[in-house]
Amino acid sequence: MSSLRTLKCLAVLALALLPNAARAQHLLVPMDDGQANHLKAYGLTYNALKDGARGEWLLNYRGGSFLLPDTPELRRRAALDGITTQPIDDATLSDIRNQMSQANMESVPLEKAPRIAVYTAPYSPPWDDAVILALRYAGIPYTPIWDEEIEHGDLAKYDWVHLFHEDFTGQLGKFYIAYSGASWFVDMQRTNAAMAKKLGFPNIPALKKDVAMKIRDYVNNGGFLFAMCGATETLDLALAGHDVDIASVFADGTPMDPNADAKMDWNASLAFRDAHLEQSPYVNSMSDIDGHQANVPGRRQPLGTFTLFAFSAKFDPVPSMLVQDHRTVIPDFYGVTTSFMKNRLKPGVTVLADEPGAPWVKYIHGDYGKGSWTFLGGHDPEDPQHAIGNPPTDLSLHPNSPGYRLILNNVLFPAAKKKPLKT
Amino acid sequence: MRISRSAAALVLAALCLTSGRVRAQNPDSVGSAYLRGQDLETRDQYDSAAVAYRQALAQTPNSLPAMLGLERVYAQLGRSDSLLPILDSAIARAPRLTALRAAQLRTYRSLGDHAGMQRAFDQWRHDAPHDPAPYQEYARMLIEDGYTAQADTVLQLAQAEAGSGRGFSYEVAQLDAAMGKWEPSARAWREAVSDNPYLADAAVFALFPTPAGTRDAVRRALAAPPVSTPPLKVLGALELAWGAPREGWTALHVLRPDSATVAAWLDFAHRAEQANAWLVARDALVAADQADPTPAYLVRAANDAFAGGDAAGAASLAARAETDLDSAEAATTALPIHLRALAALGKPADGARLLDAYRNVMSADEQAQNARLLAWGWVRVGDLDHARQALASGGGGDDAAAGWIALYQGDLAGARRRLQGQSNPATDVLAVLALLDRTRAAKSEALGNAYLTLARGDTAAAAADFASVAPSLPDAGSLLIATSARLYTAHGDGPQAIAAWKTIVDSLPQSPEAPEADLEWARILRRSKQGPAAIERLEHLILTYPQSALVPQARRELELARQSVPSTS
Repeated sequence: MSSLRTLKCLAVLALALLPNAARAQHLLVPMDDGQANHLKAYGLTYNALKDGARGEWLLNYRGGSFLLPDTPELRRRAALDGITTQPIDDATLSDIRNQMSQANMESVPLEKAPRIAVYTAPYSPPWDDAVILALRYAGIPYTPIWDEEIEHGDLAKYDWVHLFHEDFTGQLGKFYIAYSGASWFVDMQRTNAAMAKKLGFPNIPALKKDVAMKIRDYVNNGGFLFAMCGATETLDLALAGHDVDIASVFADGTPMDPNADAKMDWNASLAFRDAHLEQSPYVNSMSDIDGHQANVPGRRQPLGTFTLFAFSAKFDPVPSMLVQDHRTVIPDFYGVTTSFMKNRLKPGVTVLADEPGAPWVKYIHGDYGKGSWTFLGGHDPEDPQHAIGNPPTDLSLHPNSPGYRLILNNVLFPAAKKKPLKT
Repeated sequence: MRISRSAAALVLAALCLTSGRVRAQNPDSVGSAYLRGQDLETRDQYDSAAVAYRQALAQTPNSLPAMLGLERVYAQLGRSDSLLPILDSAIARAPRLTALRAAQLRTYRSLGDHAGMQRAFDQWRHDAPHDPAPYQEYARMLIEDGYTAQADTVLQLAQAEAGSGRGFSYEVAQLDAAMGKWEPSARAWREAVSDNPYLADAAVFALFPTPAGTRDAVRRALAAPPVSTPPLKVLGALELAWGAPREGWTALHVLRPDSATVAAWLDFAHRAEQANAWLVARDALVAADQADPTPAYLVRAANDAFAGGDAAGAASLAARAETDLDSAEAATTALPIHLRALAALGKPADGARLLDAYRNVMSADEQAQNARLLAWGWVRVGDLDHARQALASGGGGDDAAAGWIALYQGDLAGARRRLQGQSNPATDVLAVLALLDRTRAAKSEALGNAYLTLARGDTAAAAADFASVAPSLPDAGSLLIATSARLYTAHGDGPQAIAAWKTIVDSLPQSPEAPEADLEWARILRRSKQGPAAIERLEHLILTYPQSALVPQARRELELARQSVPSTS
């Protein structure tokens, strides 16, 4: 009995003598310039939540750091991926909380890894979508879905859905202008037409409009939507133009309704209003929502930089989460839709980033029904001039990309407790 | 004949500078202002250069060199818009001068003023009817900027105006390639390079991205009858770029031998050499020699044959070259590769006879160099005494060769002493020295035999020898096993290489080679599509040796094994 007591005493003594790092209760994942791999840090946090752990997002603290439990497995994952972590004890954490309470900082609990779906066509190479690039690099699992899954009601299975450069007006990005003979375009047209037929729609525009409606319903029911590039603009055009022929003759056999502008129902859209549709089938633009018009000679605007807005972390935690970054000024990047004209934004839309002095904004957010949506213009934050045929971006060469951080902010955003989850 | 925009500018500028008859463009009449501008420009004093060029233009308003100089310095100063009114005046005086119109288009383009470009193009068309230049210049700029649809419109307009596509084949070829229309592009390139053979490189560059499934159509277009040299030259270079050198030569060798064909074959051989397609280069050079007997082609072919592993062919070609060359030149050019080939073939006695035949025409340096080659021949057959004699016959004094022979004989101390004295040691010497530095042993016949086996070209046996030596030289054991593993890898024997690396990981985890063992083991696994096993090894490396300099490489391999980044291989 006495030997057991001695053993216990020794054990207590041994614990007391352990160095700080070994008895830390928390793992701080700094997200300022001290972080060696910002993008992987999101994957570390996501997978910790997925495995049942709880975490915190320390908004505006050291670039929007994460706080995770200090477990051997998380240390192991961080070491493997070269993610900078700092084991901290309760006293240090208390100091951090004290510091945060006196500044524009806030802690947001992270409780549940969102179930992620990415809307992507079967013919799309996986490396053509910045979000897929980011998810794969960060090690965040996702499920690819397309029109058939959406039409069958699968959206309800997911907490977060991402759209990329899909053209929801059904005009296949107007690629027929330059690529009508290219084999990849022929394949794209054939696959979409077959899907429309299979699902009982007369043509591609009709299918895409219906898919757009179902995506909006998903948001209305509490889903989180993140769209980039051309999907932002065309989703809203498809919603507002649900009862209007907004597709050129190449897409549905009939020319666009010459009075389409007047017939658009902007009450049905998420972000934009009063846009003028591009009537010419030969001009590679959908409307005047996009400020940069990258594919239209004579209209194309040069790239500048965009600036992330600073929000009150305590009173506006949602936009604060979406703009957490170690840089506030980020080089702009082109896409089918690069930016959004200010005069085309609906009242109530929250601007997250703009280009000072320019008539457009880059990054916007809003609520719709029980859910919310976020739109980010442009194609690839690390390939500003992205053109068809360019090699895919290798994110291991850009582990600290501030632009890609914006994408991954959106992935973790539905995990935050303060925003009620759809589920 | 089409020439590039910059070439056109240079040619015109040169004409302006040299023509004594065109008074307005004579540099003497342009005067000191132009020359001062040029001098200031080269010294990066753009503001002052602009003033000087303006003065030159004030003196001689039609001076094209001054106008182009002003274009350059205004671009540097970000004041290209200031050039436009000056160009307008110059164009009004010389409305058909292509260089001025092109400068105007370039200026609007640099300002991002697409509407201005369109206006300038329309005005040029109007002022110079039936001139293809406006269409060509404008279309090319649009293609370069990615406005393929608009470029297409411009070229259709041009062809409607001209009544045929002739004269626009280069622009059409570029446009079709930019739009992914590979077969039509190949047809247009065929026409373009037939008219202007200097466009061959541009054609190769444009057609290189052709997807594998469409390449046959491109091949057919370029090789279609009537067969001519320029398109086949493009096809040969394309095949090389696509990794099919033999197909490239198959396409080219059908040409009727004439001077243009020989030039094309030599060009192909050069490209093949750059692509390490040695045996194809050899064939092209032999064909060139048959069409135009030149011993230098044969010597080059012999070297290529040897580099491609055809030692017998190299010996034969070198012997043919020797018969066509005088003795002194043969000793300098053909003899070294002949000796190297005979050494590789294990025929040092033949090499010794050959060397004797040329001994009288060789310099002392050549004798020493060739004696070393012969000594290697003797080493390869394991005759170290003859090797030493060969070195001595060349004047001796070659510490590197003597050091190697000492090593082969197991005299590690002697090898260390002789090899360490090298002022600029080769990489293989450094590798040996690294091993000799790891052991204090003065002698090891087993290690000498392992190196000798390697020198004889028996990689697999050498790999086994190095592994078996390890227990007898424990201070260098891990390095010997690593050497064995590297040799097995080079020999393509993945399982044996893995076994060697595994020995280091399991039994010698504290050795300097342990992180490398994990990394190389993982690489073999990844190459053999065993992703999860590769991931296990890489994770082991990163977690076990976090301070290793190989960790960044391991992380990169880990990303590829997990397929979390696009593979570039």
